Order: sequence, then structure tokens, then C-alpha cells
Amino acid sequence: MARYAMVMDTRHCIGCHSCTIACKIRNELPTYMIYNPVTTDGPHGTFPHLNMLFLPLLCMHCDNSPCVDACPTGASVQTENGIVHVVDKKCVGCLSCIMACPYGARYHNHETGAVNKCNFCLDRVEEGMRPHCVETCHQKARIFGDLDDPNSEVSKLISENRSFQLLQELNTDPCVFYIY
Amino acid sequence: MIGKVDLTQEGIEVKKSACYFCHQNCGVLAYVKDNKVLGIEGDPEFPTNQGGLCCRGNIALKHLDHPDRVNYPLKRVGKKGEGKWQQIPWNQAIQEIAAKLSSIREQFGAEAVATAGGTQRTDDWARRRFMNLFGSPNGFHNSHLCWIPTFMVETAIYGWCPFDLDIGASKCIVLWGQNPGASGMPEAHHVAELQDKGMKVIVIDPRFTESASKADLWLPLRPGSDLALALAWIHVIIYEGLMDQEFVLEYCEGFNELAEHVVDFSPEWAAELTWLTPDQIRAGAYMYANNKPGNIQWGTSVDQIGKPAGATMHARALLRALTGNLDRPGADLLTGPSQDYLTDEELEGNEFLSDEQKAKQIGADKFPMVTWPGYSKISELTKKTWGKAPTAEWMCEAHPPSVFRAIASSDPYPVKALLISATNPLASYGETSVVLEALRKVDFMVACEYWVTPSAMFADYIMPIAGALERPIITNSYGCADFMLTSQRAIQPMYERRNDFNFWRDLGVALGQEANWPWKTVEEAYFSAIAPIGHAVSSFDEFVEKIRFHFPEREYYKYKRQGFATPSGKVELYSTTLKELGLPPLPQYVGPSENEIDNPELAAKFPLVLTTGGGFMPFHHSEHFQIKDMRFLRHSPFMDINPATAKEMGITDGDWVWIETARGRMRQRANLTEAIHPKVIYTQRCWWYPEKDMRDFDLGGELGGALESNGNVLTSTADDYCDPYSGSWANRGLLCRVYKVEEADLKEVM
Ligand code: SF4
Ligand code: SF4
Ligand code: SF4
Repeated sequence: MARYAMVMDTRHCIGCHSCTIACKIRNELPTYMIYNPVTTDGPHGTFPHLNMLFLPLLCMHCDNSPCVDACPTGASVQTENGIVHVVDKKCVGCLSCIMACPYGARYHNHETGAVNKCNFCLDRVEEGMRPHCVETCHQKARIFGDLDDPNSEVSKLISENRSFQLLQELNTDPCVFYIY
Repeated sequence: MIGKVDLTQEGIEVKKSACYFCHQNCGVLAYVKDNKVLGIEGDPEFPTNQGGLCCRGNIALKHLDHPDRVNYPLKRVGKKGEGKWQQIPWNQAIQEIAAKLSSIREQFGAEAVATAGGTQRTDDWARRRFMNLFGSPNGFHNSHLCWIPTFMVETAIYGWCPFDLDIGASKCIVLWGQNPGASGMPEAHHVAELQDKGMKVIVIDPRFTESASKADLWLPLRPGSDLALALAWIHVIIYEGLMDQEFVLEYCEGFNELAEHVVDFSPEWAAELTWLTPDQIRAGAYMYANNKPGNIQWGTSVDQIGKPAGATMHARALLRALTGNLDRPGADLLTGPSQDYLTDEELEGNEFLSDEQKAKQIGADKFPMVTWPGYSKISELTKKTWGKAPTAEWMCEAHPPSVFRAIASSDPYPVKALLISATNPLASYGETSVVLEALRKVDFMVACEYWVTPSAMFADYIMPIAGALERPIITNSYGCADFMLTSQRAIQPMYERRNDFNFWRDLGVALGQEANWPWKTVEEAYFSAIAPIGHAVSSFDEFVEKIRFHFPEREYYKYKRQGFATPSGKVELYSTTLKELGLPPLPQYVGPSENEIDNPELAAKFPLVLTTGGGFMPFHHSEHFQIKDMRFLRHSPFMDINPATAKEMGITDGDWVWIETARGRMRQRANLTEAIHPKVIYTQRCWWYPEKDMRDFDLGGELGGALESNGNVLTSTADDYCDPYSGSWANRGLLCRVYKVEEADLKEVM
């Protein structure tokens, strides 16, 4: 069984937002739903002694996912591969998961009433393709793969570089790793 | 799957198309069924983007059938600038336009017809061909601000321009006023990869840009002071023993003159002018000269600093020569024109334009480098060495601001018609007030366009032009590269849209040029261009599908075999070509078009230094403000200001702020950031608001907000602000002041 994860190479990300737009356009999302915004951390310091990093965000596909726990109807689920997603039909739009997610990764779709979020491009991944945001990144700053395979690119990148996860202290055990 | 689209469904064809939203032309795979594009993605086999697509590339389908696109020929029925149009058939439009141009030619001469283009994303060789056959020398682009002067000045020094960097083996790259992190995505990726392997990256930029944040050395110079920096680097390289002596001795002329010329241009001299410390300046020179082979990547900024532009290009070229970083593995290559296929120049028909008409080119008497005087000289030299000349459409053009002024004043002679092709001069050309006057006054105007832009509002006819996914593309750096990447249309143009090639050809045919337009479609023309390569294919599409790329084998050190394409056959550090054109043979120091040292009175009134040119994601020049799915990223225009400066002026983050120069004022919102020097202001360029009333002001409209937040309201194109070599004008290094937009004005802004 695979455990899907994403690695963000902050050394290469230039904050171009191509991933943000690719996700929106190809997944046909309304303007207010942004599964993967890119934030700028900085510039810190005083001119001209500065540093700056770009941090692309998205659903962390946490191993210990508070959103799934919070869902009263079983619409929010996690596949055996670790992908957290919402089964639209079962979602009643109670928004409990939105409140439970510490990463702000979930959105209420005003048209369908359901909550939607990044699902690691589940349909593509099942067909052996890569997520759209990974595919579109000119910088190859987003790397997708299987954590359970020690030879996968993601496993290697994590073991060979310094990395961090976001809000590690909450014990959500996120599966998005930032290397620097 | 692409979103909800199943790519495995029956009847889907995969077309090898390309993005058309910047001239990188990233490869795109388009999934097409029944002449409809169902989905696109980056082509992983395309060598530059390798599957990547930036924001713009991703919105191609939103652009393709956007409700605001121009789909049919439109004829003006209301007043100029009123926006009342009648839809007419393509052929009727062509006949009527031809009749009008013909009568203007009879009355005022062919030179009374001018044409303007946008970026390198139109069939420009076809426009040039039309103009040559029609008899007018007055075609132009915004090319003066984008590489073209650089190409010509560098070609004067060493016989071609090294835009093709052999960076695979490079140990150091200088991104000189360039931020591929926001403008050239594929390039940013290659730089990052090589940096991982140890290549040093130097970024010269007043702003802490995306690229600067990744650099090994960032040199935040005063905007527009690049010449002082380049001269100081030359000084350091010569006087601190960093030169490639062998190369200079054997292959360069004029070293002694140069050495003497730069004796006083020390880092200490340059410090005051550039706002860098002597140590910073030295560190850059050492890093570049000690990590060989190395590259200096071209960026638009030096083309855009006005008065010192030409001398800066010259000085920058000398750095390559002094370090021997020319045409050797890992360095800046002089590829020359393609020897294998027909170049754009060979399709333009420059032989059709008479010497008498060439002599009438507007601006040629003032700015020799990118007009007929300089171009004739350069093309003669390059033909001798390379057998071919650079593209004339780009390298040999009328001076745009002078044409706009001629329209308004009939000086040096009347210009009665203006045909613009995929360009919005009100947003993108310098000194908007001059452009606006010209557009209001011009007798006859045609716009070949995707949108009804503020500029197109003044047209008598708007012709619907095919865009991304609707046109075949050859990518070869303005027709000056030796390589070629090709892409096909994903679909035939929708509605009555056509390639601009078809517009120029049809117009030519209506004016009796038929015998000289042997190709009926762009594909036919492109096929004739690639045929000499000799592949066994019978159409352009087949070439794209089977071959697609042409990369000739690299030959290094060509100068050993054929010399440099200069009068002496050497690198002319002391340039006889520039001298013959009446320009300084060595780069003379000149300050930025406006600066605190030469213009203290102006600086007292406008104490801050302005830079307006830099690109920013997701827009490209003046494009894409209509596309909501991208606009949300930057819904309104932002200017960068240092927090300390903002505090002095009571400006807080997000406030609307006036930015004012001696030309006028415009407003953007404040982005408080340490990324910029306390005395520097950076504004975004070219803003307009498609959502606003598009009518002209006297008709009750807002002209699409074209004057509201547009950096070009602030720039000057007066002759004495322009580069004496090329006539390029300054949008960087000007003097300005900023102040908060008052509550009363705020409503107007929103
Ligand atoms: S596309 Fe890549 S480089 Fe651009 S913001 Fe996203 S992760 Fe960063
Ligand atoms: S993995 Fe797919 S759904 Fe998630 S952010 Fe990337 S493109 Fe969007
Ligand atoms: S960089 Fe972006 S706009 Fe330019 S060609 Fe590539 S995808 Fe298109």
C-alpha cells in the first residue's frame, strides 16, 4: 500500500502561483475556492540584509486528520493511500470539518453546498498520473510520491535534506514536507 | 483525467501546440475533439518548459472563448472612442481598409501609414513584408524597450548578440536587471538546477525579487545606474588583473584606448552613483571574472533606462570580451543566424523598399542604431561573415514616440494612418499623454486585436485575431537564433478570427501585392521556411508532429575560423561601427535620464527614485486583466515602498497612493516592504481596468482606467530623455514623489 505525500522544495519555489491557477482551472473551481495558495514568508530583515521564502500550501493529508474525526456523516474520509477527501453526496454542509482543520484547507462550495478541498488529484493519481499542481510547476518545486517506498523521490528528498512540517506541534502528522 | 475531462474517451486527438502568452512559447498538449479543445497541459517533451506551465499558460481555455474576445470584424459607427460598432464581413473590412490606405498613400505618400506591434507574438515578418511592399518605412514595436537596442549595440562590438547562453557548463550567471522568477519560468528552472550544482548567481536589481532571494550575490543598485556599475567592473577587471589576456591580445582591438578610458571609473567613483559600496561592486566583478566560463543574461532593464542605455549595453558587452566569455563552452554564444532554414529576414522582403523610402524612416536622423542607418551597416557586416542579416522587423524600426508625435504635429511630415497589431499603446508605450493625443488625432486607425482595449477604442476597424491554441508557432528568438521550436494550431481559429498573417496578406492582395505573397496560409509560409532543413515531410503540421525541433550541432570558437562580424574581424572594444554612426566608440559615462546629481532642483521637488518596468506574475505587459481566474491574485495595482519611507508620509499598507513625476500622476496601492531601498519606489506597469467604462473621457467614460494606475503616465519620451544610440526611453531611474490619495479622491479610485 502506498502512502502519498508531497514535498515542497522551498529552495526552488519562486512563488509564481502557477500551481494555484492550475488547480483552480483544471479542477474547475469557483474563484473563491483556492485549494493551494502560496504564501510569502518575508522579506525578513532590513534592507538590504534580507531573506524570503515562499511556502506553497494545500491540504496536508494528515495521518491523524482532525477533519475526518469531526465529520458527523462520514463524508470526510481518508483512503488507504492516505488521501483525505470528501464524498460530496454524503456532505450536509455542517462545516464542522472546516472548523476542525488547523490549516484552513477546506472550503464551502456555495453552489453545491458541500465542503471541498484538495484531494491530491485522486482521479489522476488512481490512473498513475501526477497531480496538476505538480505537473505545472516549472521549478519542479513540488514533488509527489509514495512515502512507503524508500526509493521514491519524496522519501529520498526527505531523508537527504532538512525538512519541516507545518504545525507539527498539533500532532496531526501532516504528509506535506517542506525541504530547505 | 484533466479535472472532469476523461482523456481516454474516443475521438480525442492530441495536438502539439504552444502557449502564446509570452514569447517562451511553452509546449502544450491540447486534447481536441470536433475542433474543440477539451483540456490542455504542459508538454513534458518540450525542452524548455518540460511539462510546466505558468499561471498564464494555464488559463488558455479561459482566454480562448472569453466573452469579451473580439470574434468578428468591427466597424466604428459612433464617434471615435465611443465604442459603437457594427459587425461586418472580413472581406468587406479588408476592401474598405485597402481603399482608405490607398487614398492616403496617393495624397501623403506611403510613409503616412504607420504600423505598431506588441511583443513578439504576432506574425511580424508578414507585417514587415506588407509595409515593404506598400512602401512605408514606419513600422515599429515596443522593441526599443526589449532587447533590440542590446542586439544592435552588441552586434556592432562583436558581430552578433549572445542571447543563447550555454549555461550547462557555466560557473556563474549574472542576471542583470532580470527576474526570471517572475518573467521567464523555464529559465528560472534551469538557473536553479545549475545553482544546485555550484553555479554562482549574481542578481543586479534594485528590488529584492524572487530571483534576488535565491542569489549568491544581490547588488541592489540605484535604478538606472547600471552604467556606472558596468564601467567600474571593467575598471576592476582590467586593473586588478582579472582579464583573459590571451583572448584580449589575440581577438580584441582597442584595448589600450579602453584601459585609458576607464582609468578613473573605480568602484570608489561608482559607489556614490550606484548606492553600492566599493566592496559590493568588487565582489560582483570578482565573482563574475573568477568563475569562468560565465554568462551575463540579458534583461530588459538596461534597454529601459533611457539616456545611458546604449552606453550601458556597450559596457556590458565589453565585460564579456575582457573575460573571454564569448562563444566558448559554458559562455555566451554567438550562434549567428540559422544556416539551415529561412530566417524571418529572408521572408520580410526588405529588398522591396526603395532607398528613397528608407531615408524617410521617422527617427532615423536622431537615433541611428535601430533604424536604417545602423541596420544597413550591421546587415552588411553580418552578411559578409554569416551570410545573413538579422531580422529587420525589430532591428530596424521607426522611433515610436516620434511617430506618435508626428501624428499629432505633422512634423517631420503628416502621418495619417496607424494600424496596430496586438498592442495597447496607451498602456504599454511611454508617456501616455503623447500616445493618447496621437490616437485621438490620427485620421484612420485599425486594430488587429483579441480585445477592445482602451487603444482599440479609437479604431475605425477592429479585426479579430487568432490567439493561443489557434495559430501555428515558430519559436526562434526574433528570427535571430540558429535553432527552432515549432508548434501547431490545436484548432482552426474560432468565429471569424484569423492569423494577423492573413490580415496583412489579404490587405496586400487588395492593394495589388498578390504576386509577392506566394503562401496562402501561415502553415504554407512556415513550411517554405523549414523546407531547406531537408526533412522528408510534406507539411508544416507533419514537421511539428514528427520532428518539431531543430537544434544544429554547436560549433564553439567560430571566431577562430571566420573572425567576428565587425570591420576588423575582431571584437572592437573601441567600436569603429559606432564611431561611423556618430556615436561614442567607447562607453562614455552619462547619468540616468533624471537623477539627483545632475538635476538637483528636480530632485528637491521629486526626492524619490522611480522604477516602473518590472514584470510580475500573473500578467504579461498589459494583458490578462480581464481573466478573473488570475486577476484575483492581484486584483489591484500595487507599488512597493519601504516601511520607513511610508511611515514618514503617513502611508499604511494597502493605502491608495499617488505617484507623481514631472509628467503627471497616477495611483496604486501601497505595499510596504523591506525589499526596496528607502529612497526607491517601484510601481507596476501598464495597468488598465477592463471592468471600467471604456469610452473616452469627453464621452462620459473612463477609457478603461488606462490613465489611472498606469506606470507610463509617469515616463518621458522626450528626445533628450532617450538613448542617443537607439532612442529607447526611460521607465526606470526617474525622479518622483508619492503621497496618500485623499479621502475625497478615493471614491473616484474605487
Ligand atoms: S508552481 Fe511551483 S514554483 Fe510556482 S508557486 Fe507553485 S510550487 Fe512554487
Ligand atoms: S493535488 Fe490536485 S487538488 Fe490538490 S492542490 Fe494540487 S492540483 Fe489541487
Ligand atoms: S512562461 Fe507562461 S506565459 Fe510564457 S509561454 Fe510558458 S506558460 Fe506561457
